[in-house]
Amino acid sequence: MRSVSKLIGLALTLSLLLGINLHGQRRVELIGAGASFPAPLITAMADEYRDATNGRVTINYQSIGSGGGIRQFSEQTIMFGMSEAFLSDEIMKNIEQSTGGRAFNLPITLADVVVTYNVPGIDKGLVFDGPVIADIFLGRITRWNDRRIRNLNPDVRLPRHPIQVVHRSDGSGTTNLWTSYLTKVSDRWANNVGFATSVNWPTGVGANGNEGVAGIVRNTPGAIGYNSFAYALLNNMSYAYLENSAGNVIPPSFDATSAAANIELPTDTRILFTDTPNPIGYPVAGFAWMLCYENMEKNRTISNKQQAEELIRFIIWAITDGQQLSESLGYAQLPSAAIQKSYAMIRQMKWNGEPIGRNILDGN
Amino acid sequence: MKTLKRRYLHEKIMITFIAFNTVAVLTPLIIILVYVFVQGIGAINLDFFTQELGSPSRAMTGRPTGLVHTIIGTLVVDALAILIALPFGIGAGVMLSEYPDHKLNPVMRVMNDTLNGMPAVLKGLLAWALVVKPMGGFSGLSGGVALAVVMLPIIARSTESALMNIPWSIREAGLAIGLPRWRVIASVVIPASKAGLVTGVLIAFARAVGEAAPLLFTSFGNNYKSSYLLGWTFGPVDTLPQRLYSLAISPYPEWHQLGWAAGIVLLFFVIVSFAIARIVVREKY
Repeated sequence: MRSVSKLIGLALTLSLLLGINLHGQRRVELIGAGASFPAPLITAMADEYRDATNGRVTINYQSIGSGGGIRQFSEQTIMFGMSEAFLSDEIMKNIEQSTGGRAFNLPITLADVVVTYNVPGIDKGLVFDGPVIADIFLGRITRWNDRRIRNLNPDVRLPRHPIQVVHRSDGSGTTNLWTSYLTKVSDRWANNVGFATSVNWPTGVGANGNEGVAGIVRNTPGAIGYNSFAYALLNNMSYAYLENSAGNVIPPSFDATSAAANIELPTDTRILFTDTPNPIGYPVAGFAWMLCYENMEKNRTISNKQQAEELIRFIIWAITDGQQLSESLGYAQLPSAAIQKSYAMIRQMKWNGEPIGRNILDGN
Repeated sequence: MKTLKRRYLHEKIMITFIAFNTVAVLTPLIIILVYVFVQGIGAINLDFFTQELGSPSRAMTGRPTGLVHTIIGTLVVDALAILIALPFGIGAGVMLSEYPDHKLNPVMRVMNDTLNGMPAVLKGLLAWALVVKPMGGFSGLSGGVALAVVMLPIIARSTESALMNIPWSIREAGLAIGLPRWRVIASVVIPASKAGLVTGVLIAFARAVGEAAPLLFTSFGNNYKSSYLLGWTFGPVDTLPQRLYSLAISPYPEWHQLGWAAGIVLLFFVIVSFAIARIVVREKY
């Protein structure tokens, strides 16, 4: 009798220590980190997925910034990374050398940036085209009633107020997206400023974070800045409609952002599609990517095949069912073009040569 | 010769001056305590101590969220840190005070002071290189190592001064009855200076418990409780100072309030450890 109860006690202790639930399934923790922009979506997905798996799979995502995400992903201290910028050719090459396989950039959600402004008496919906908005941010258009702005908005009575440009002072994916758009629509911007997570602004005042820019824009009549669409919506800010490359005026919307990404994508999805060729697409949109290794056993944080398989299952869930969470949180859903490319990449994921990605997708 | 009246006046001015300065020093502390308390008390409820944090949408939609995993994580990481720092810190302190002529001591003293003055974020980097990288992942243990390095110089210094307070005659008494030197230290000097040692350790704890920077890339953070017991040591865990920071920079008012509440708990930890330190000292004298 005593040995039996001892045995049961031992089994209970072991299961607690190692995290095996009553059904004998081992609990799994998936650890990821990176960009702060998709963090609210990913953590909400984590909540949802944990419920969906009865607490068996926990996703621990910490927002440390895109740069940190890429760095920790390359150092293999996390199971997946997350970034608003795709991996550079150099990093891709280094990873191929060290792991014998590629690093995958899997689109997980979409980022979109809107022009926010504070013009007394004018609500959302001022129209800008690429050259005009670039000249405003270059400091070449300095008054709200400038002829070029009036031509785009013939029905609006614009005040003779000076324009105050507001930009981010910290390095950010939002700035990268915004300046990438300006670079594509204006040669003068491309030659003088270029695009990066932080740039040398020709004019304007800097503010820290989305909330900093929003704060100055809201408190300064005549101010113009840029914010992520979700942030502008959450805070009831006036935002502009932009003319895209096809000449259509596009009000920012989740659908227009998804459409922007619904284009011919390269197989590795490493593309900046600001100023999208899609005629119904919003021109300032981009992917946020999840970073994964092709040879998953080479990532030293993933210690067994089960973890690798659960990670793949989560990625599949996140780009399909998980997308349902997007709109309520202020994100646009992935277009089918991106999901198909992700499937193709998941198919190539291996554990010690075993094609576990393909096996899971084929329903084994 | 000053008149008696002038002396009285002089004294009054000095006392007022000292009282004013005391109040001036205490005011910021009281403002901080009251402000943190007022801002955070609204978020302190049963959920706060029983629920996990989860995603921001949980808090925004009014579903229960709390910081139970953060509180447990803080206790685990700080306990690990004390366990690691204690033997080395006490050892270094004993060396400095009991073997004052040892050749290594001047070097050790300089290095100890350097370590004490080093920014805490570098200690996190050290733990990242020594523990996270070789073990292949973030862990509570690496956070413990990082905090241990924060505690180490404080424990070493306070141990040294606590042992120095024991008169040499007591050591000589022990040596006179034929005890070897290590025995005198272990059975006479350390028991006699117990109160001082405990105080030192608690001060080191209070200092380390508020450090966020060394934990960012070691214990890493977690929105949930660890799913298995060993995960508190070998998996990523949440800690109060780090969570407080991330809650504070988040754009959600609900999380700001949770952050203030985390501040209350953190202050509570610090105040309790200092209170224990005071009581231990009083017992002695």
